[in-house]
Amino acid sequence: MDEEPERAKRWEGGYERTWEVLKEDESGSLKATVEDILFQAKRKRVFEGHGQVRLGMMRHLFVIIDSSRSMEDQDLKPNRLTSTLKLMEFFVEEYFDQNPISQIGIITTKNKRAEKLTDLAGNPKKHLAALKKVVDSTCVGEPSLYNSLNVAMQTLKHMPAHTSKEILVIFSSLTTCDPANIYELIKTLNALKIRVSVIGLSAEVRVCTILTRETGGSYNVILDESHFKELLMLHVKPPPASSSSECSLIRMGFPQHVIASMSDQDAKPSFSMSHLDSTGEPGLTLGGYYCPQCRAKYTELPVECKVCGLTLVSAPHLARSFHHLFPLEAFQETPLEEYEGERFCEACQGELKDKSVFTCLACKKVFCVECDLFIHDTLHCCPGCMQTDRTS
Amino acid sequence: FRLNIEGLLVYFPTLDAKGHGVLEMPSGTGKTISLLSLIVAYHKAYPLEVTKLVYCSRTVPEIEKVVEELRKLMDYYAKQTGAKNDFLALALSSRKNLCIHPEILHANIVVYSYHYLLDPKIADLVSKELTKKSVVVFDEAHNIDNVCIDSMSVNITRRTLDRCQTNVETLQNTISRIKETDAAKLREYRRLVEGLKEANVARETDMYLSNPVLPDEILQEAVPGSIRTAEHFVGFIKHFLEYLKARLRIHHVVQESAPQFLKDIYEKVCIDRKPLRFCAERLRSLLRTLEIADIADFSAITLISHFATLVSTYSKGFTIIIEPFEDRTPTIANPVLHFSCMDPSIAIKPVFGRFQSVIITSGTLSPLDIYPRILDFRPVTTASFTMTLARTCLCPLIVGRGNDQVAMTSKFETREDFAVIRNYGNLLLEMSAIVPDGIVAFFTSYIYMENIVASWYEQGILENIQRNKLIFIETQDAAETSMALEKYQEACENGRGAILLSVARGKVSEGIDFVHHFGRAVIMFGVPYVYTQSRILKARLEYLRDQFQIRENYFLTFDAMRHVAQCVGRAIQGKTDYGLMIFADKRYARADKRGKLPRWIQEHLTDGSLNLTIDETVQLAKYFLRQMAQPFRQEDQLGLSLLTLEQLQSEDMLQKIAQIAQQA
Repeated sequence: MDEEPERAKRWEGGYERTWEVLKEDESGSLKATVEDILFQAKRKRVFEGHGQVRLGMMRHLFVIIDSSRSMEDQDLKPNRLTSTLKLMEFFVEEYFDQNPISQIGIITTKNKRAEKLTDLAGNPKKHLAALKKVVDSTCVGEPSLYNSLNVAMQTLKHMPAHTSKEILVIFSSLTTCDPANIYELIKTLNALKIRVSVIGLSAEVRVCTILTRETGGSYNVILDESHFKELLMLHVKPPPASSSSECSLIRMGFPQHVIASMSDQDAKPSFSMSHLDSTGEPGLTLGGYYCPQCRAKYTELPVECKVCGLTLVSAPHLARSFHHLFPLEAFQETPLEEYEGERFCEACQGELKDKSVFTCLACKKVFCVECDLFIHDTLHCCPGCMQTDRTS
Repeated sequence: FRLNIEGLLVYFPTLDAKGHGVLEMPSGTGKTISLLSLIVAYHKAYPLEVTKLVYCSRTVPEIEKVVEELRKLMDYYAKQTGAKNDFLALALSSRKNLCIHPEILHANIVVYSYHYLLDPKIADLVSKELTKKSVVVFDEAHNIDNVCIDSMSVNITRRTLDRCQTNVETLQNTISRIKETDAAKLREYRRLVEGLKEANVARETDMYLSNPVLPDEILQEAVPGSIRTAEHFVGFIKHFLEYLKARLRIHHVVQESAPQFLKDIYEKVCIDRKPLRFCAERLRSLLRTLEIADIADFSAITLISHFATLVSTYSKGFTIIIEPFEDRTPTIANPVLHFSCMDPSIAIKPVFGRFQSVIITSGTLSPLDIYPRILDFRPVTTASFTMTLARTCLCPLIVGRGNDQVAMTSKFETREDFAVIRNYGNLLLEMSAIVPDGIVAFFTSYIYMENIVASWYEQGILENIQRNKLIFIETQDAAETSMALEKYQEACENGRGAILLSVARGKVSEGIDFVHHFGRAVIMFGVPYVYTQSRILKARLEYLRDQFQIRENYFLTFDAMRHVAQCVGRAIQGKTDYGLMIFADKRYARADKRGKLPRWIQEHLTDGSLNLTIDETVQLAKYFLRQMAQPFRQEDQLGLSLLTLEQLQSEDMLQKIAQIAQQA
């Protein structure tokens, strides 16, 4: 009996694909295929992201994961929940890689309630551990958009104004069970300058459209798993900082990493301050990072000092966040037919096959679509320009 | 809008040829604005050819929408030409801003309800002075034949007769009172002998729109002697009333034609045909003479007099049915005399005859050829447009079977079938889980809906559905329904999601639009055939067969499908909107049903979406909804469904449009 629905779904999967192909044939020349629109949207986002806008460097992001009954749907394999959590793990890693001095928190919602899984923190390990734990939990009842937004808001509203306050909702259900009028909450969120974005797993829901429009976030609905990943990765990149967010100088500590060896006589093993909130075994370690202000010891960065509240980062962290302030300018797009020159990409040395090529405005080097995306999303500097810099 | 341009190209010959047209255009594509702008432009170019536009719509909100569009158009004109326009537009919507004709005479554009033009009682007051060179547009005209028929039909119950009785008594009292005080006043004699010469002269000189209740022959003749004086006339009416009362005292159904009725009335109470024919006119004259201000009080007697005139004037196209009780309550005696018009062309004939161009338009007019046939006119143009879309924003699916392969149908023999009801329930349950926000479901009748919902409740399906969405039900009570609608919209708005269960032909199916999230899916449970056991309908079908060679089945299917089209059309209002259309009955897959859907729905109905099971439907719907949720901006439409000015002027685009127009 248990196997029965599983088999039915597999059969439908095959059915779905054949139809997909048919669909595109029929749409003919009149209707632009969705893939085309999607490609353009992708490009557009790259452009939008790379205008001369200020991007938030310090982000406080709450991710709300719907774990209602609808997450058991098997249209993502093996089911929506597992698939989402897997992608979330990836997302958390990427997020901290790109935004080292930012923080993240995770909230789940089911059975009309919202539950805070992890509080805002800058340490990926804790989040990953929490996410792994959720996989086995059951999905029941309806989600409550109101309750979960409210939980996130209670924490975010105390965050300083120079940080970018964001909520990302992964919404699988098509319904929400709210204790009060959600439109009031949306107004409050808007006043607090909290940006709410939604990724829908099934279809466009009106209340999410309004929520994201009012708070300045984005609203996307996934097509399949790879599209889901793509959408999720869009949120790795920091959003443009709102012009009204205040600029202020922030005190930051750059602790020295002290390495001590057992052979050193002066070295005394000590506890890290971070064991205070972790339930795991507190371990005695020798070396670590010492807060330049109060000498509290930490084993990992970045972290907010438990004693004096100073933000402790390492210089490479800051440098990595720095590129968000000076994004690489968008490359110029030209159709392949109009491009005259050698037909291979400067970066990957592959043949230019896509319908358009991208030229760096500074060094006039040419790149393919994939490399263009890679350069802008990951490298944040043009390899062509780097080369010319060195040679000159 | 690209559609507009195609439309304009097709209208032109209509206006040029001074003929009539039938046009079908999907709703929300700017049908109204394109018609308005074209006619206004035509008027500007040839002010002598077209002097006036009469725009008829169905309901008050629709009229208001037209006025709003018109205002935008005028603003645009003012902006483009810089000149102040000298247009006077007039909207007659509700009773409170009803106006009297001098103003209409001067207005260039008049917007009002159908009834002002079709219903002989009101048309006489409002519309008779419209000039011949007007262009008349009937919008939302898919039901125009029924409007025509209603305006010419009379239903007489015992209550009508009782009220008429009191009317007669009041008249009598007034007459005797006036007689005492002012006998001279009652000397209408002269005028009556002169006949209705005045009206006749007017009609011959073509000043008035002719009234179908006032046939030509009457105008030629003088009012017969037997009803010339007021007392005699009242006595005559009394006689007639007694006769009707006697006729209503029956125990079995009687159906007869107008001549039969006249013969019977002559034999029983010696009332001749001739005086009957003058009843309506005579009563009007009497009421005017007596200076009775409140005509509304005399509605009953006016009704009876109209009946008398109609029954004696038209020997064809009408039938009289006397039923001793209603079909639903065969034990309670409630005799009704239906004097029912079977030929819609009678009421609309003067309109077609008088105005140089009459355009009938609606979102759903398929099949187009049937309208000219039943309304008896010869259109210069008939065209059906489809939407030119940048994306496929509607998804019609025909669900024919449940997952257990049992055929889904509301066919009479199987409608009580447990499996069919369960499958319908499963369909709604599955859809409620995957369609966001609002779903509107239509049943074929109130009784059928009640049965099904009760059965779903017993099977626990209702409970499951409620986990996904709230359920609201349309009832026959208008207040209750509007309350349900309001709550339904609220639930859609705040993300809870809701299902509205309603009835095809009910209030919801006509005139209430479910834009965007208020209607992401429409489900039609069954084919909404009209109740075929009704005697009036039977008589009408017979008439259609005899007079227009339209087979009963053809007409019934046509009638059912136009209601289906209306219902599912509620969900799509414009190009940015999207929605699922689910036809849950295997009979929809047949060519005779499918072929009667409007072209703009048909073209999206592929072979792959016929006779689906519930599972397949769910898969297709899921895919569709995800596609539609992808960002959609205006630039994507450019060049496809939107044209910029430059594109419009380019040569090859013009050619392309001309080509499409030719095909249409």
